[in-house]
Amino acid sequence: MTADLPHPDANAERTASTPVSPSETASSAPEDPVDDPVSSAPASPELSSASAPIPDSPTPPSPSSNNLSPDSVSSDLPHSDLPNSDLPNSGIPDTDDPQTDVTQVPAGVMVQSDPQAPIDPNAQIRIKTEQGKLWAILPPEPTDKEKTLGYSWTELIQQLQQRLNGDARSWAPGSNVRVMARDRLLNSTQLQELAEVLTKAQLRLKRVYTTRRQTAVAAATAGYSVEQTIPRLQMTKPANGENTSPLAEPLYLEMTLRSGAEIRHNGSVVVMGDLNPGSSIVAEGDILIWGRLRGVVHAGSAGNASAIVMALKMEPAQIRIADFVARGPSNPPNQIFPEVAYVTAQGKISIASAEDFSRPILK
Amino acid sequence: MGRVIVVTSGKGGVGKTTTTANLGMALAQRNRKVAVIDADFGLRNLDLLLGLENRVVYTAVDVLAGQCRLEQALVKDKRRANLVLLPAAQNRTKDSVNPAQMRQLVAAIAKVYDFVLIDSPAGIEMGFQNAISAAQEALIVTTPEIAAVRDADRVIGLLEANNIKRTSLIINRIRPKMVEVNDMMSVEDVREILAVPLIGVVPDDEKVIVSTNKGEPLVLSGNPTLAGTAFENIARRIEGEKVPFLDLNVKDGLFAKLKTFFTKPIG
Ligand SMILES: Nc1ncnc2c1ncn2[C@@H]1O[C@H](COP(=O)(O)OP(=O)(O)OP(=O)(O)O)[C@@H](O)[C@H]1O
Ligand SMILES: [Mg+2]
Repeated sequence: MTADLPHPDANAERTASTPVSPSETASSAPEDPVDDPVSSAPASPELSSASAPIPDSPTPPSPSSNNLSPDSVSSDLPHSDLPNSDLPNSGIPDTDDPQTDVTQVPAGVMVQSDPQAPIDPNAQIRIKTEQGKLWAILPPEPTDKEKTLGYSWTELIQQLQQRLNGDARSWAPGSNVRVMARDRLLNSTQLQELAEVLTKAQLRLKRVYTTRRQTAVAAATAGYSVEQTIPRLQMTKPANGENTSPLAEPLYLEMTLRSGAEIRHNGSVVVMGDLNPGSSIVAEGDILIWGRLRGVVHAGSAGNASAIVMALKMEPAQIRIADFVARGPSNPPNQIFPEVAYVTAQGKISIASAEDFSRPILK
Repeated sequence: MGRVIVVTSGKGGVGKTTTTANLGMALAQRNRKVAVIDADFGLRNLDLLLGLENRVVYTAVDVLAGQCRLEQALVKDKRRANLVLLPAAQNRTKDSVNPAQMRQLVAAIAKVYDFVLIDSPAGIEMGFQNAISAAQEALIVTTPEIAAVRDADRVIGLLEANNIKRTSLIINRIRPKMVEVNDMMSVEDVREILAVPLIGVVPDDEKVIVSTNKGEPLVLSGNPTLAGTAFENIARRIEGEKVPFLDLNVKDGLFAKLKTFFTKPIG
């Protein structure tokens, strides 16, 4: 199929009311998107097997959701080639679920330098080029309470390995990596594991930045250079409120995301490969899947409702954009059929065929 | 150094132990020196499937604790002396062994044996981590069910994260009749999600259960069975032979022919 994407300018006059796609009644847009994204709700039981975000994860089930509750996920999202259907919308009801008192920073804020601020318990190890250097940025040391919510060290290391497998083209083999540990405690075994994972990706652990004496001693003993003053990286700045932190560079991954894999990034994410059922991506920017999308995606996770999700084959368990959420279509296309999911002017998540879609629709 | 292959699945009860026992025996019948390791600590049953329960004296934990030598713990198969079993401790939990110890044990065994098959416990916890820690290759067993496939996918991801790159897929308990009427995922459906090379398809076969209860792997049985043949084929493919697949998708395909071929002489 030749999907001639219309040049944006060619369609600039289109508005949301233009019959772009017959599916604008779709989805679950809550009438008033939540202002305060600081608490999370559990994944809805309704969504069980097909869309439970992360099986086996000890972390709160729906890390990125913003006051979502089972009822806020309304009907299936119809595909762009389907006729209109009258699907009810439901707002986000007050949730009284016991788990909703779990405090969380806005989804997508991975790293904060202020140890006083609540951390994102789902923070991952991040790899980032800044100031011409390659950094591995560790999540801060969790408090005791956060320990039960956050990823365990083993999980962090596994995620990092998975990330590196798909990331190999982003840097030259043999590059040095600076590990930004900040206040996180690292023992010698953990440092060694970190070094091993980096070595497998043809990277070299060079220097450890830490404010903790124990970590400094462990790193020095293992033969790494240690830096106890912490440079201010873009990445470690706390995000105060909306859109104050600029988006990071897009994350480009060449891999299949398998069940249980979770990618969180404060920018756009591009995947050359499939998103299998049970995997998820949470991105502050857009999400582009050059393959099949069968996992859970959350674009514009910090509240940007103009973020979009694109896939060659759109079969998501669930789509979230900003504070909006919709279940995936129950009748996915049979062949490759590139589509785009976006939030309409009416505040609903809709899917349009790539051919019909152009960003100015949103304006 | 022998090949170290872990048999794993994520989901429980999909046929890991059955597969380990049958492949171990099939490879032994091909005159390979084979060691099968029960890594399901606390819930061992590989010894049962091989009919060796009453010969177990020592276990892996005894070896690690220095209570016996490795050779003492290896149980020789009563039918084939070139097949041995390293039993798991029944009374200990999976936390009594760590990955480093597992690697050490397996390295010692792989010096002597051509194949080391490790029967992994279900799940992705410590017992699984132990089981995969020493392996260079993996056989993923799944049944054609959504939950099993989902877990298999997760496990494949974890294997990749642990740098086990050589992974093949076994689809167990397929029922061609159900696939035909769309009541069961087809081989293609499963492959499409998991995207790892398929090394075997084992039909659902009552005889598997009979053989389990007798402690006699199917591949030993004098009468050829469908599942037994499937396991033998997998053993041959592990050794690099090209063996055509049982075609389950086409009506009156190879599978149907094979079935008549096998059932007629038996009656
Ligand atoms: N192809 C088959 N046809 C019929 N029954 C089968 C087949 N494969 C396995 N079974 C049966 O399924 C049950 C579970 O098999 P098995 O013990 O090998 O699974 P497992 O994956 O090792 O389980 P666990 O996760 O508990 O270790 C057994 O009763 C076995 O006889
Ligand atoms: Mg078993």
